[in-house]
Amino acid sequence: MMASSYSAKDEDGHITVSGPGGGTLRNKKPENTAFKQQRLPAWQPILTAGTVLPAFFIIGLIFIPIGIGLYVTSNNIKEFEIDYTGDDTSSPCYNCAKNFSWNNTKSCTCTIPFQLDQPYESNVFMYYGLSNFYQNHRRYVKSRDDSQLNGNIDSLKKPSKECEPYASIDNKPIAPCGAIANSMFNDTLTLFYNDPNGTSVPIPLTSTGIAWWTDKHVKFRNPVGTNSNLTAVFQGTVKPVNWHRPVYELDTDPENNGFINEDFIVWMRTAALPTFRKLYRIIQKKNTMAPTLPRGNYTLVVDYNYPVRSFEGRKRMILSTISWMGGKNPFLGIAYITVGSVCFFLGVVLLVIHHKYGNRNNSANISN
Amino acid sequence: TDCQKNQYFNKKAFVSYLIHGCYCSLIIFFIPWASMNDAVRNDGKDIVSHPSFAFLLQTCLLIVVHTQLSLDTYYWTAVNHFFVWLSTIGYFAISVTMYSNGMFYVFPSSFPLFGAARNTLNQPNVWLTIFLTFLLCILPVVAFRFIFIQLRPTINDKTFLSSIRRSTRSGYAFSHSQGYGDLVTSRKFLIKRPLKMTALFTQTDSSIFQNQPQHYRTIVVTVPDCIFSGFKQDRTSTSCESSLCSWGFQ
Repeated sequence: MMASSYSAKDEDGHITVSGPGGGTLRNKKPENTAFKQQRLPAWQPILTAGTVLPAFFIIGLIFIPIGIGLYVTSNNIKEFEIDYTGDDTSSPCYNCAKNFSWNNTKSCTCTIPFQLDQPYESNVFMYYGLSNFYQNHRRYVKSRDDSQLNGNIDSLKKPSKECEPYASIDNKPIAPCGAIANSMFNDTLTLFYNDPNGTSVPIPLTSTGIAWWTDKHVKFRNPVGTNSNLTAVFQGTVKPVNWHRPVYELDTDPENNGFINEDFIVWMRTAALPTFRKLYRIIQKKNTMAPTLPRGNYTLVVDYNYPVRSFEGRKRMILSTISWMGGKNPFLGIAYITVGSVCFFLGVVLLVIHHKYGNRNNSANISN
Repeated sequence: TDCQKNQYFNKKAFVSYLIHGCYCSLIIFFIPWASMNDAVRNDGKDIVSHPSFAFLLQTCLLIVVHTQLSLDTYYWTAVNHFFVWLSTIGYFAISVTMYSNGMFYVFPSSFPLFGAARNTLNQPNVWLTIFLTFLLCILPVVAFRFIFIQLRPTINDKTFLSSIRRSTRSGYAFSHSQGYGDLVTSRKFLIKRPLKMTALFTQTDSSIFQNQPQHYRTIVVTVPDCIFSGFKQDRTSTSCESSLCSWGFQ
């Protein structure tokens, strides 16, 4: 150790040392604050039996009723599904599927009768579902131009490079560009109710209010030109390759035409999984006490335009009611019940372990 | 001492971390997947869009990671609190901003996933899914730790368990045990006391100490429980030894 002498400590902790040479060295000690001397007040969480065991039991006791509630709610939702791909000779749409060709000017129609065993109350939602259709493929997901869909005139005339090879035909820009828009679902589905006395009553289907509000009112905008006529605004562009009609003829309602057509918007919202369903139409509830869709015989008439057999996909139509947790989804209910029970059981096991082994560690002798 | 015994970075520990990582990854993907399969919003519109699903997975992951971090933090000072809460709240704030109208108007091509946060986070079954995923990832960790504390407590666990009183000092410089600054600078240990246990070190004459308070030739400390009168009486001998040696006293 050094033989030099030390003076008494200063108030702030700095010590001046006089060495053999006679000069004073400033000590590099850090300041004597709580932060720098690591003296901050701290809280120390400890996993004791008093916190862990009640936590497990409480979680178990909370989850089981939630799970039961979810399961019961899901069971009360009514859902009906028809697969109309037409890959089987017995299926009504078999001929349409087999004879599909891209040059068809006349669309093929098939009729599928079905029966509802229970009446459907309140709003009934009609979905179309596709299987084995990978809307989450990376190159596909990028193949769109959001500026063009937002109504930007420059992007309308010059789509972005991401849309290639669906960006232009013969030097004319495609509106809307990209592979997502090009593969838009274009089957038409209509429903008829077969009255007991034999008449076929068409069921009114609402085609607005099916897309997200943020999409319809902010993200997708029609380009604004000098003329309010959409046909004029889209002058100089061509329709996508696989479409039958150009984008400004998607609907007669001007609020649902062009880029803000709700079917188009719903399609452009790419699905995450290869088997998905998208909202197609809404059957509004009636003002009377009668159920929206009474029990009985129905007919689904399909304008078969969308080919899925080339990639072994499937098409289906789904009718469903809705609850506060969405559509029919028993998984969450079952998962909550399972996790709650396992948690409760685990709490019991931990209690036994703690009782048997924990007490011997609480003795005073902790030196080893 | 745990580091000296190579308890944190050996093959067994690595395999356990690997299994934990795989389990959490599978849970974080497959629980939301199973829950969102054919799911719709409570007004009938779609919810399983690509950006929404990704946002749900992200949120689950962030919440699980933050909770795991909280479980692993032994001492919660103001600094810890600030950064962990800032991170959690910041994630939600940044996500909502990223997915908001404003950013979309300014940079439409950079923020195309607009609307995902708002339309996802107002669905009850999304929050239920997040809660389920979070619990499924965290509860096994808590259970295992509790079991190990009961069956095979380490030195740190023993000291923690017997000091149920909340610590007011964060001596995280000394392998997560409280430091001995108080003890050494308070000069309490220099007072001769009747010893109950064998002294680890011998005591020198106190005259040298009175002339030169900071200058010692030998360590003047014994480690019986009674000495630590101003302290918690639960320091183990080994941790005391390592801490005092680290102060540089001979």
